[in-house]
Amino acid sequence: MPSTAVRHAPPAPPTAPLDTRLRIETPEGIDLILRPASLVPRALAFTIDLAIRGLILGVMFVLLFTLGQFGMGLGAILMFLVTWWYMVLFEVLNQGRSPGKQIIGLRVVHDDGTPVGWGASLTRNLLRFADILPFGYTLGILSCLNSRGFKRLGDIAAGTLVIYRDRSAERPPLAAAEPLRAPFAMNLEEQRALLEFAERQGGLSAARRTELAAILAEPLGVSPEQAEARINGIAHGLLGSA
Amino acid sequence: MRLTDASVAIRPRSAWEALDLGVLLARRHAGLLMASWALISLPVLALLTALLWEYPSWAMFVFWLLKPAFERLPLYILSRALFGDTPTLGQALRAFPRLLKPQLIASLTWRRLSPTRSFDLPVLQLEGLSGAARNQRLVVLGQRDTGAASWLTIVGVHLEMALWLGLVTALYMVLPQQMSIDLDWQKLISPDAGNWLWLDHLSNLLYALALIVWEPVYVACGFSLYLNRRTALEAWDIELVFRRIRQRLGGVAYALLVGLGLLLVQPMERSWAQDTPAAICPLPEADPLGPDADRLQQQTLTSKASRAAIGQLLDAPPFENRQTVTRWRFGDDPQKDVDRGDVESLGQLLRGLFHLAEFWKSIDGIALFFEVLLWAALFGLIGLLLWRYREWLTLFATGREKRQRVARERPAVLFGLQVTPESLPDDIAGSVERLWDEQPREALGLLYRALLSRLLGEFRLPLKSAHTEGEVLQLVEELYQDDLSAYASRLTRHWQNLAYGHRPPPLSSRDELCQGWRQLFGHGVPR
Repeated sequence: MPSTAVRHAPPAPPTAPLDTRLRIETPEGIDLILRPASLVPRALAFTIDLAIRGLILGVMFVLLFTLGQFGMGLGAILMFLVTWWYMVLFEVLNQGRSPGKQIIGLRVVHDDGTPVGWGASLTRNLLRFADILPFGYTLGILSCLNSRGFKRLGDIAAGTLVIYRDRSAERPPLAAAEPLRAPFAMNLEEQRALLEFAERQGGLSAARRTELAAILAEPLGVSPEQAEARINGIAHGLLGSA
Repeated sequence: MRLTDASVAIRPRSAWEALDLGVLLARRHAGLLMASWALISLPVLALLTALLWEYPSWAMFVFWLLKPAFERLPLYILSRALFGDTPTLGQALRAFPRLLKPQLIASLTWRRLSPTRSFDLPVLQLEGLSGAARNQRLVVLGQRDTGAASWLTIVGVHLEMALWLGLVTALYMVLPQQMSIDLDWQKLISPDAGNWLWLDHLSNLLYALALIVWEPVYVACGFSLYLNRRTALEAWDIELVFRRIRQRLGGVAYALLVGLGLLLVQPMERSWAQDTPAAICPLPEADPLGPDADRLQQQTLTSKASRAAIGQLLDAPPFENRQTVTRWRFGDDPQKDVDRGDVESLGQLLRGLFHLAEFWKSIDGIALFFEVLLWAALFGLIGLLLWRYREWLTLFATGREKRQRVARERPAVLFGLQVTPESLPDDIAGSVERLWDEQPREALGLLYRALLSRLLGEFRLPLKSAHTEGEVLQLVEELYQDDLSAYASRLTRHWQNLAYGHRPPPLSSRDELCQGWRQLFGHGVPR
């Protein structure tokens, strides 16, 4: 497993807020944020893969059955490939995504966020036989519920994570307003909150918007009724002309 | 409820991620949740088992039906724990009867089969609404994320089954084999004997045990979905940050106000703009070039010089690591659409394979042909492997005797002397004594040949025709036989003196050498 990145080793102390994100620092000092996926999406992805495999095997067996002995031979080879190599080939050659994971929006990566390789993929898929024990992935379920990063046993052995793929987000339209300059300095988080306020207008009720904006009325030096328009203006100012 | 006390990171998540947060939440309080669940559910199961001993399936059904009632306790614990007020086990159990009252009948009847049960429960239990308001609230909250809630329930059903069957299998696997065989036979012979009820109740118990693991997670996932929905609807994350801004600026604004007042009172001097604290943004008119403008011009280190120095530092290692990589590549590197290309080529491959298969089917014995081909490939592979590692095999896999026979090829002639045993007389010492007087050269030659022959034959020295006499002596020394090496060096010295220096050995050495020979090799015939 490549060791190009260091996991922030200490698990979050009990007082730190619980979060599903894992922060990983690369040697270049860049923080990568991984979002490991837990049991439910993974179970769904697995079910989809299982169905696809069943379908492939079923259809191919029907077709090959008509070919007689030769078909049965081909079927045996196909069975081997689908059972042992379906996941591995898709994961390594398709950026860590089997079809089921692709549909749900997951992918497999190493613990440090690098793309999964042959060794890790083979390990995690061969060790399904440990996860399946004693019946129907019982050990895998328990391990997935209990480990940080929602890993089943195969993931622990191979050093892999199943994470959500980052989808490119579309910029939501801002509420129309005249760009304004913020009357006080803000850090990144605060600027983001103001922007989000302007971006999520559609999802909030009018009363709630006024209530939220009123919190900032005093620092902005305006009356609570004008605060909303002022915040929207500042958000436009923060966004710039882009 | 104070958002600033929340023990989870509040931000809008996707529905799946909200479920993940629920798993984390359940894990953090796993001990309390599982213990409380076990303490309320297992006694109920025991009671049901006692009441419905004859009908284990009915006991199971009633227990299953009562699940929503039990689920209120984990939710109570989680809702308190979310804001840092985790109850103790005793407190939670004491609170349980009070939690049961509202909407119990609805939960156990028409809401029992709702797939979004875990998502709706927080509304029923925590918000305390009633009637139309509650229904409206459910509709509003259910506009999104109900899909994830349904999937949670569906997956949950299967997980319960998997855990339950896993427990059953594990129990079956640890049974002694004889016992399980006996059980099977008894069940087969007398299925109606009536002694099997305890087995059914045991399986009920295992189901209850599986629920201890899964139900807290299920409730926590529903709860976190509910939290996520409210975070999105009410912008909790924005509220948190806004409050923080107000808290931070509350003091600053006051100070600014005072400062401005003071400034207005004082006459305007030229330097006040430069002394303004950096917390205030400079006005755009005062700073036309923005942050890139030259500053600090009155001192030795101007902003321009310092920026240049910083740039220089950042341009050198370790901040900068430039590499020039030169490699060959093909001129046309088309940007191909991976997904579609793969699918299409796969489809073509499948079609081709299908046509090929149809064609093959028409030919008789094609299966046999391929069978032969595959077997031939297998044998070919084995043969290739054997050939590839033949030296390794001869080194490690054959016996010692055979190896020596193979390795040794005995030379027949050394230094122009015949050294085969056949070319030597039987009684070496006697022949030497007879020859010594008339033909000393032949006598000594015979003795030396005989020595070489014995070294080759008996001591298996790897002598080659390229060795010199000195090298032969060295090889003899490596045998660590003092008598032999002393004799060999003596004989070699005499032989070299005679052969190359034409100096006959002294007469006394005849007996000495022959005697030595007899002592070393006796009279026997070397074969």
